[in-house]
Order: sequence, then structure tokens, then C-alpha cells
Amino acid sequence: MTTSLQERDAPPLAASLLAAALLLPGVQALADEPPAGGSISLRYLDYADRQSGLDRIHAHSPSIAVTAPVASDWSIEGTLTADDVSGASPRYHTAISGASHMHDERKAGDVAVTRYFRRGTLTAGAAYSTEHDYVSRALSLNGTVSSEDNNTTWAFGLAGSRDSINPVNHLVVDEHKRTVSVLAGVTRVLTPNDIGQLTLTRTNGSGYYNDPYKLFDNRPRSRRENTVLLRWNHYVDATGGTTRLGYRYFSDSYRIRAHTLSAEYVQPLADGWSLVPELRLYSQSAAYFYYDPVYDAALGAPFPPGFANGADPNRLTSPDQRLSGFGAVTAGLKVVREIGKVWTVDVKVEGYEQRGSWRLFHDGSPGLAPLHARMLQVGLTRRW
Amino acid sequence: MSARTTRVLRMALVLAAALEAAPASALDKGIPAPQFDLPGKDGAVQLAKLQGRLVYVDFWASWCGPCRQSFPWMNEMQARYGARGLQVVGVNLDAKSDDARRFLAETPARFTIAFDPAGATPRAYGIKGMPSSVLIGPDGKVLYEHAGFKEADRAELEQVIQKALGGVK
Amino acid sequence: MKVIVLIAPALLALAGCATVQPWEKGKLAKPEMTFGGDKLETRYADHVYTSREAAAGGAGVGGGGCGCN
Repeated sequence: MTTSLQERDAPPLAASLLAAALLLPGVQALADEPPAGGSISLRYLDYADRQSGLDRIHAHSPSIAVTAPVASDWSIEGTLTADDVSGASPRYHTAISGASHMHDERKAGDVAVTRYFRRGTLTAGAAYSTEHDYVSRALSLNGTVSSEDNNTTWAFGLAGSRDSINPVNHLVVDEHKRTVSVLAGVTRVLTPNDIGQLTLTRTNGSGYYNDPYKLFDNRPRSRRENTVLLRWNHYVDATGGTTRLGYRYFSDSYRIRAHTLSAEYVQPLADGWSLVPELRLYSQSAAYFYYDPVYDAALGAPFPPGFANGADPNRLTSPDQRLSGFGAVTAGLKVVREIGKVWTVDVKVEGYEQRGSWRLFHDGSPGLAPLHARMLQVGLTRRW
Repeated sequence: MSARTTRVLRMALVLAAALEAAPASALDKGIPAPQFDLPGKDGAVQLAKLQGRLVYVDFWASWCGPCRQSFPWMNEMQARYGARGLQVVGVNLDAKSDDARRFLAETPARFTIAFDPAGATPRAYGIKGMPSSVLIGPDGKVLYEHAGFKEADRAELEQVIQKALGGVK
Repeated sequence: MKVIVLIAPALLALAGCATVQPWEKGKLAKPEMTFGGDKLETRYADHVYTSREAAAGGAGVGGGGCGCN
């Protein structure tokens, strides 16, 4: 950015127009650097969960990500993922018998193109995901604007998705779901050792939300979701490590309220090694139409109470554990090795447990067996 | 105005107020460049002693990505125009000078290097980005300032140096 | 909720009012000090948690969906 005396006195027209459009006087031209070089990353996830002493779902997921600068003001980024998921999912609550066995392969890809301006960026993205019974397409537009001193960055985002659902049991045929999301956020450099971020998102969706493989799963045909995410990274001079803390509040039209607290500590060691322990605490309330594993007096499981007495068959119900009230804890450790300036290898191990009784501040939903999961990830990145 | 519009406008005003916090201004062209007397790789580096030469002061740090790209170019400029009176001075701003020495071991500098871990010099020069460079004429006055370093900047910066030295050769 | 939406951006922007100078950002330039982290790692985490919990999202928009059993 050159600043001869004459140029500084005449505010650039483009910047004035942008400022007017954003109702932000004083924002001059924009401020980010495209990446100096590109990178390729390969990563692999092995996920397995268990419930009541029996294995449930197992997933293998390799993926690749590529980023590259293009010309002097652009960059492009793309990822490809394949999920191989198999196992048994309960048809209702945590019931083992009669669980639906499944084996599915999901392939997903996305690409994003970013244009860098003097004081900001603009990114357009597209995503596509396909599996036997579910196809999802999404588009997004995200922008950032930074202050003159680069200490404050505002972020804006808009995205939409369209999903097509065709369950293999033909419970429904050619159903759809559409969502629109908006995002607004601010990132602020607080001290030479601290940076904070606040992000708000809102998603409105309409269409088919039921889980077709669960019995008596009848959800509203619309869903509105809000999140507030607060993050803070702090560099610890004494150890050369960094603490990464985050808190997310989620609320939606199912009347689910969820809190997520996550903490990570990055400790660099000698020779390019780093250790990263992490801890995540999660708590959610139940959806208002979720029903506990207490069944109809006459018919028994899995019928919701009142079924035999002629309750409205179209009433909203769901026996999905994911919509119950529970708390969950994740503990993990990642070991990273940087080799030269070009290669990074890492291995990450995590354990996850979900229990009704672990819900914070209130009682969780009763009668559901705890869920245990373990995740193993291996990653390799090459930069140039 | 609906309640929603009022709310949006209120948010916009908050945003605007937040961005109004203006930082210190950079130097105006034509004023005498602030003096500095800093330790260097081989003895002290003083701006006063460089009077009569065209001085290209570059503020850099080991953690700054574009700085790594600017060094080969600055080596080239010093080699090409040193005899005609150009002196490149790289003022390092790392809080720990050891980081700077590690950077120099990998990316050698064939021009004068000075160390200012306290950051007094960039403050006096009103530096607003990393890297930043200031071109100072033989009379000690500021001729030109530039922030950042991209491939596309090389040609423009070289032209400015040539013009200041008095014509293309 | 509405109060937070109005006040929080202002608070965050005004907090740490002593402006951090460009040459003081050495520690902030470290990759572990940025938000987001490894893109694929974050993707996997999002995918696992939206498959087992009701809450989703927070950091970005535009990911698309899945059947997610």
C-alpha cells in the first residue's frame, strides 16, 4: 500500500462505495494476504461406538484437502472425503434387538475460491455430498473486512443447502430439505498474547427432518437454529504453549438448548514435536417431542404412550437418543511432528462418552444406556 | 421505521464506532526521517552517518511471511544500485534477537542489518504493517513509504529507487 | 439474547483498547494462535458431533448435510 501525500487526501471511490454499502465510515481499502504457498493434506478417521456392551457403528473415512494460491490475489481450496459407515443403529431409544443394520458409503467434495482485497476477503464455496439415500448440495458466500490496523476483522456469511432424501426402506420417496444460514462475527486482537472471536449464526430450514430408519419418528417440517460461539486463544510466555478455549450456546425451535465448552492446549516441544491435549464438555436439553423409553400401557415398546387409546397418529414424536437430554465428555490427545519446513504428521486419539445423567444444571432423559465412542485420526500435510 | 430496521441500524452504528478507532498516522512525504542509532551485526547503525546516500529502510521480523520473499529482492537491489549510492538497512523487530539470527542463517542478507527489539524506531516512523519500507533521500527526507511485499510490488519499488537515483541505466 | 447480540460486538471491539502494533504480532502469527486449525480435523469433529448430538455448527456456514447415522 503506497501512500504519497496526494493519494492519501483523495479517498478511493471504491472504498467509499464499500463503506457506504456496509454502513461503515472509515473503513479504507482491504487487508489480507493470500497464502504464500500451497499445501496438500491427507487425513484418515477411524470411528467406532459401543452401547450396552455391543458394537454399534463403525466408520472409516479418508480425505484429502488441497489449497493453492492463484495469481497474486486469489486462492483456491478443495476437499474430497469418502465415509464408509457400517453397523447397527437402534430403531428406537437404545434398543439392541431389531436394530437396523446398515452399510453405506458417502462421498463428499467441496471447493472454495477466495479473492483477497487490500482490507478483506471474499470467498465463494460449493459443497456436494452423496450416499445411497441422501444427496446434499450447498452454496456459500463469506466475506471478511479488517480495520486499518488489522486488529479487528468482521466476518459475514450466507449459505444455502438443498437435500434430497430417498430412504432405502421406501418409507418416503423423494423428500426434500432446504436451509438458509447467515453468519456474523468479529475477531479482535486483544494483546500481543491474546486474540478473541465472537460468531453468531442463524439457520432456517424446511422440509423432511425425520429419521426414516427410526420408529415413530415424526418431527416438525421446519427448524430454526441459533448459535453463539465465543473463542479465545492465549499464548503462555512461560511455556511457549497456547491455550485454545471455546464456548458455544445453541438453541433451536425443537426447544433444544445446548452448551459446549472446549479446551485445547498446544505445547511445542523440542525437534518439531508438539503435544495437544483436549477436553470437551457438552450438555443438551431434550427436544419437546422426544419421548422417554416409557411405552404405551397396552402395546408396550416401542409404541409411545397413548398410542392404543387413539392418540393423533400425526403428532410429533421421536425416540432418537440424539434428541434426548444428556451430557457428554470428550478427552483426547494429539501428537504432532513437524519435519523440516515442509512436512507435518500427526496422530490423534479421542474417547467420547454420552450419558443422560451427565446433563448440566437439569436432569437428563432417563432410561437410555450410555454411548461410548473412540476416534483415531492420522494426518499428513505437505507444504510448498 | 420497524423495530427490526432500528435494530439493524443500531448494530451498524456500533460496528462503525468500533472501526473508527484510528491508529497513529504514517509519516508525511518530505519531512525529515526520524533518527535512529541501533546495534547491528557489525557495529552500530546510525541514520545520521548515512546522510548523502539513498537509504531504503525495511522493517522486518522472522515471523513475517512476506519478509522471507523480500530479502532476495533487497539483496538484488543492494548489489545493483549500491555503487550508485543506495544503502538498504533492514531493521529487525523480533522481541528475541535469536529468532532473527536463525532467520538470517536460512535467508542471508547482503545489506546492513540493525536490531530494534524494543520497537522504538517503527513507532517513530508510524509503521502500520509488516513488512514496511521507507525510502529516505540523501538529504534525510522521506521520499516514499510502502507496506506489505508481493511479487507485483518488485517492479514498482525498483522504479521508485531508480527515479530517486536519477534516471534509468 | 437480543441484548448480547447488540452489546457483545461492541465490547469485543473495544476490549484491549491498547492497540497492538504490527511489529508486536509475532506470537499471534503462530498457527496455533489462529482460529479454525486444521481444516480436515475440524471437519471430522463437526461430522462426528452432528451425528451424535443435536447441536450443530457455530464457526462457519455452508457445509452441506448428510444422512448421518
